[in-house]
Amino acid sequence: MANEILAAGLAAALVLTAVAALGAKKVSTSLIMLFYSSVVLGVTFTLYNDALIGLVHMATFAGAVSVLLLTVILMTGESNLAIGGRRIALVLAGVTVLVVLASISTITSGGPALAPSQSQDISLQVLGFVWNYRPWDLLALIMVFASSMVAVVSLLSKERP
Amino acid sequence: MITDQTIFLVTGTLLVFIGIASVSISKNLIKTLMSFQVVVFGVNLTLFASGLGGADRALSDAFVLLSILVGASVEAVGLAVIVAVHRKYGTLNPDEIRRLRG
Repeated sequence: MANEILAAGLAAALVLTAVAALGAKKVSTSLIMLFYSSVVLGVTFTLYNDALIGLVHMATFAGAVSVLLLTVILMTGESNLAIGGRRIALVLAGVTVLVVLASISTITSGGPALAPSQSQDISLQVLGFVWNYRPWDLLALIMVFASSMVAVVSLLSKERP
Repeated sequence: MITDQTIFLVTGTLLVFIGIASVSISKNLIKTLMSFQVVVFGVNLTLFASGLGGADRALSDAFVLLSILVGASVEAVGLAVIVAVHRKYGTLNPDEIRRLRG
């Protein structure tokens, strides 16, 4: 039952962010909502034991494609650059939701295994460390992505001369 | 009995339809590309959900990875086309572009 409630919550978040992205009047707001939509989908993949797909998805869409879209928006001058305090509050609320989702992921994954690797090979030890700590890695990744989005909003909120 | 697989399949299909509807009514080429991205999200979720609870998880994962890479490549090309169109016509409104072409 808990799985179905989690799936319904993630599905609702996904549809809401996608509809908000496509329904927003300003392109900059659409970009922010689309960013959240891609992060929610990445978290969904990760929560269902597919960390690799989740990370590739987030790195591709929340990272690379968002930056490309932002560059094109700035190049074409399509963005209405006035972003008020309400939108920044919206972004911060989104960050909070993402951190909560990532924390749920950390708890459901059982936390990091603290047993040291027995291998003498340093590359295997590094790989084992990364694999053991992947829920925390996801948490850090989401915080980095979210803070970069806050920085983008802050950049966009500056008026052009 | 509604399972998480059903929920994700329905959500993925819904996202695909929302994206296609938005592509058809969009008045801005950047928004059109964003709608395409939502369609890609829906396809990815549907492919992912099709492998949940079954033995073919690796196959669905491979398809999702392929879909992610193809979607990102198409978006990059689309953005380059948008920049070229904006340079030539000075607008991103499809109706305006059609009018300027004559």
